[in-house]
Amino acid sequence: MTSKFQQNIISKLSLQVASFQEGFKILAKASSIRELGRNFNHILRGSILVVDLNLFYKNNKNSNWEEIYVYNKKSKDYLKDLAISENFSLIAAKRKSYKIRILLPLNDGSYFGLFLGKKLDGKSYSELDRIIIQIFLQLLDNAYQAFISRQKEKQLIFSLNNRVVQLNSLIDTGIEISKLNNKKMLMELALERSVSLTNASAGLLRIFNNNRVLFQIEFPGGSNPKEILSSEFQIEREVEYRGLRYLVTLANKESRSGYVPFDETDEILLEAFARQVLNAMENEFLHKEAIEKKSIEKELSLAGEIQKKLLPNKMPDIKGYDLAGINIPSKEVGGDYYQIIKLSNGRFALVIADVAGKGVPASLLVSTLDACLEAYLEMQIALSEMAKKINSLIYKASPPDKFITFFIAVLTPKTGELDVINAGHNPVLLLRKNNKLEKIKAGGVALGMFDMGLPFDGEKLKINIGDRLFLYTDGIPEAMNRREEEYSDERMEKFFKSKCPKKSETFIKNIVNDIKIFTGNTPQSDDITALYLIRK
Amino acid sequence: MLTEFDLKTEQNNNCVIINTFGYINNEGGQKIVDEFSEYHQNGLNYFVLNLEGTKIVNSIGISFLIEMIEKLNDSNGKLVFINLDPTIEKTFTIMGLFQFAEKASSVEEAINSFN
Repeated sequence: MTSKFQQNIISKLSLQVASFQEGFKILAKASSIRELGRNFNHILRGSILVVDLNLFYKNNKNSNWEEIYVYNKKSKDYLKDLAISENFSLIAAKRKSYKIRILLPLNDGSYFGLFLGKKLDGKSYSELDRIIIQIFLQLLDNAYQAFISRQKEKQLIFSLNNRVVQLNSLIDTGIEISKLNNKKMLMELALERSVSLTNASAGLLRIFNNNRVLFQIEFPGGSNPKEILSSEFQIEREVEYRGLRYLVTLANKESRSGYVPFDETDEILLEAFARQVLNAMENEFLHKEAIEKKSIEKELSLAGEIQKKLLPNKMPDIKGYDLAGINIPSKEVGGDYYQIIKLSNGRFALVIADVAGKGVPASLLVSTLDACLEAYLEMQIALSEMAKKINSLIYKASPPDKFITFFIAVLTPKTGELDVINAGHNPVLLLRKNNKLEKIKAGGVALGMFDMGLPFDGEKLKINIGDRLFLYTDGIPEAMNRREEEYSDERMEKFFKSKCPKKSETFIKNIVNDIKIFTGNTPQSDDITALYLIRK
Repeated sequence: MLTEFDLKTEQNNNCVIINTFGYINNEGGQKIVDEFSEYHQNGLNYFVLNLEGTKIVNSIGISFLIEMIEKLNDSNGKLVFINLDPTIEKTFTIMGLFQFAEKASSVEEAINSFN
């Protein structure tokens, strides 16, 4: 059964329900603790006729009290009267300074402290006043919880959005880094992004060769590397790339309340950036390598084109003779050479040569030989003398392991006389009309092998009507099939003896076909060069 | 830790234009909010943040900008960003800053948006 007093209180409180509801609406809108406290004071002031209201806030039991709303400047001296406890207290004080002191513990470990001075009407606080104060304190507590929940929600949204920013930035940085071909810019970008996405206050990237710093950059510009390296909180990531050590140090993770330790996400982000930089550097290296390879291929192709120009593009017409030749290099540039040079006295020089080795060094020696021949043949000196001079030149122009096997036959078309020298080359084959095979070996050692004045002995022969001359390089007898068997001198000589077409060109075509049949799909390992002459 | 952040402020009638230079992190963000508060407490409600001199912002820096935006929303004011680096613009979009603040291409356009 309720007493008359209680009924009176209930009826008075009922009249204030709307004001409580309106008060909560106002309190719940606050966007800061200060605003919450200020609004609470306004509401309470209007409800219990008091202006001397002083509200304080304490973040935790060890922190200092903060002024939220202070009417009486001396009120902060009253704080010593507030004993910190986990329990709510509303204590009436018969003091001049204040009449009521309140401690409101909040469920996140913080506190509100409130001191109420005299009422405006001079009366003391009634039981109803105390109940109204308690109701408003309950509303303050509820509004504070709502405010904290909103703050947490905002922090969560902020944190989730920040994760999206981090992921997005990782992707974007990866793309941006891959477009950069300047290593310094690439590392600057990665360092900037690592610092900003981990909230580091600064970062330092150093490149070491053994223990010597070759290069370093810091972000933000103006940061002191020594301060970074002696900072309280650090994370580091080290990668090694092509003999150099790349070390990134991030210093002092920022927060609104000071520096804090880096977390696992920061480690993951730094690792991801380091991997991106490593991949970008590897890609840049491979890209450069590909460009260089392409450039070398282009140069080789050009060298091949130049070399082709050293070989005859058309056989000269030699009255009473039929002549054909071929050169199939195994690489872009080869070491084989053949040429037919018309001399001023109506004679023709038939030349075939093979430089030891292949590729660019061999092709350079071929060029030297071609130039020598053009010059010396015009001088109409004896072949043995010419061979000596060329030998000396090639010896000087080439490394010790490079030499040229060389055969030259100077033909007098009218008589069929052949002036020959064979400098270490495969024997040239001469097939007489009666199918008798002769091998021309006359000469000396290969050109460029020694420069000791060794003689090159020539030989004089005669090619008669119906005779056939076959000049070739070792690429023919040494052509290999997949069982690593050689085409062989025997098979070549047999072919030469048995296949005697009317046209030189037909012989060349047929022997190349025969070699292809023999080798099948086995890649050509050496240059193939041949000259074939028929005296009609 | 010493960094290179700096700012320069101009007032154009009732608008305040804050120009930033350097990394907006805790230090940079605090400097911006301090500068902003000085004018905001004096009743100025329209702010332009010119980020032409800023290429990098971290999330702590963004939290200061959000604080500015919230204070301006409470006082029926407005913040307009100009000269945003594409990376920063994307970051602000993801962080939701443009739900409560605007962006413009120049100071003039920003000032016109206040009228």
